[in-house]
Amino acid sequence: MNRRSLITRAAFAALALLTLFSMRRIGLLELDRIRPAGENLGDFVSSLFPPDLDVLGTLIEAMIETVEIAFVGTILGVLLSLPLALLATRTLFEPVISLPARMLISAFRTVPSLLWGVIWVIAYGLGPEAGALGVACYSVGFLGKLYYESFEAVDSEVMEAVRGAGTNRMQLIIYAVLPESTNSLVSHLLFMFEYNIRASTIMGFVGAGGIGFYMLGYIQLLRYESLMTALLLTFVVVTAVDLLSGRIRALLVPSVQQQSNRSPLRASITALNP
Amino acid sequence: MAVHVQDGTLRQSGLGSVSRGPAVIEARDIWFSYDNRQPVLRGVNLEVYPGEMTMILGRSGSGKTTLLRVLKGLLRPQRGAVLEHVNGGSHRHGAAIAYVPQTLGLVRSLSALDNALTGSLSRVGARSLVRSFPGSVVEDAKELISRLGLAPKIHEPVHRLSGGERQRIAIARALMQQPALILADEFVSQLDPITAENILQMMRGIAAERNVSLLVTTHETDIVDTYADRVIVMREGVIIHDSPSADIAAGQMLALLR
Repeated sequence: MNRRSLITRAAFAALALLTLFSMRRIGLLELDRIRPAGENLGDFVSSLFPPDLDVLGTLIEAMIETVEIAFVGTILGVLLSLPLALLATRTLFEPVISLPARMLISAFRTVPSLLWGVIWVIAYGLGPEAGALGVACYSVGFLGKLYYESFEAVDSEVMEAVRGAGTNRMQLIIYAVLPESTNSLVSHLLFMFEYNIRASTIMGFVGAGGIGFYMLGYIQLLRYESLMTALLLTFVVVTAVDLLSGRIRALLVPSVQQQSNRSPLRASITALNP
Repeated sequence: MAVHVQDGTLRQSGLGSVSRGPAVIEARDIWFSYDNRQPVLRGVNLEVYPGEMTMILGRSGSGKTTLLRVLKGLLRPQRGAVLEHVNGGSHRHGAAIAYVPQTLGLVRSLSALDNALTGSLSRVGARSLVRSFPGSVVEDAKELISRLGLAPKIHEPVHRLSGGERQRIAIARALMQQPALILADEFVSQLDPITAENILQMMRGIAAERNVSLLVTTHETDIVDTYADRVIVMREGVIIHDSPSADIAAGQMLALLR
């Protein structure tokens, strides 16, 4: 056996041991708890049926609010992240400016969306306003990063050619950076909206509006048939939004790829796993 | 070592007499290396005169592109200096020299007209921030584009234009800069010979009319005779030949390139 495969085997063994060790520590290896867990899950699933359609009207209204939270949050997020992302673009600004802007963007990203919801509930009071602001803050963290990466991916020869005409920084942004990255900007916006729809469904858990408020209530009142209706409705809306925005993004992709070798999806995934 | 032409007169070119006034740009003993190892430019001396069409020949790696980028100020030489003798006046720094990179550097989603207009940005000031340009500037851009034969495609986004059409828009943008000198890198290398000659002819005509100097790099010897007033040959970062194009035979050029 050569050295390389020995190292590979040792690495696998170490990984397996680490996994078992962690599972034991968090209690996943306690066999006497596994069987009841299965039974409980079975009970829960059977109590979900049949879905309670009486609550559908209320839930549709709440779902509309959820979509509104995601929509307003995404748009506010875009408006806030665009200037911040421009400041964070190293091909436009010196490190004195771009570095603090990057740090601010990554600080926004560090706080989970639900926690942003809590922060705005504390600041603004209960309701969808807090949800939208929470979603907006969270979006700043992600869109900021996706956007400055798009801006930096603008072909350096385009930047040189436009800058070489004696343009100032604002002109360079308006006539080269933004038009060259329009497709990725829209693509990232749609991606963020898909993500925010999902994030907004649970904003209600912390009192920040939308369908999550009802989901939590049904769980606490053990009204699982009503919960099922909420879950089904969420599933339908999330799938519809994903399909729709996926369609729009697919239309944009070819020209985005023309602009840079990085696919927007890959860029999005990179940004979501910083 | 660089061979330099010192005679004060220039031959009569096909487009009328070109008088050799003071140089537009002067490069003195330029040394440049990308990584402090092998220098790419080794003591280049060069002057470009008003209205002159100069072609720089050389194989890839001979330092042509690097020289253009140093002249434009995109690269700072480790030794030597570039002196611009252009009446700055209305120009913001750098606008007097237009640079057309090999990939042209056009903004793909903007229309042909908008791309041409970006050349005028240093002159139009704050109103450009709301995408508005003075009427006279827009008229000038439209006239240039139609002279270059692209009037029907003036509002077409650049990514829908063909290679030759993009090339012409790049010229229009460079001319809209009202430069004293246009630096064009491998300008017609990607085009078929007929389109290439067409474009060179148009560019020469308009440049001569506006007294703009042209400095074009190429590795094709056959276009030099017809279009250049002056030929420079580079090899391994050094100018090994510099003369009026009439003074060098095609065979001689090929020999120098080898």
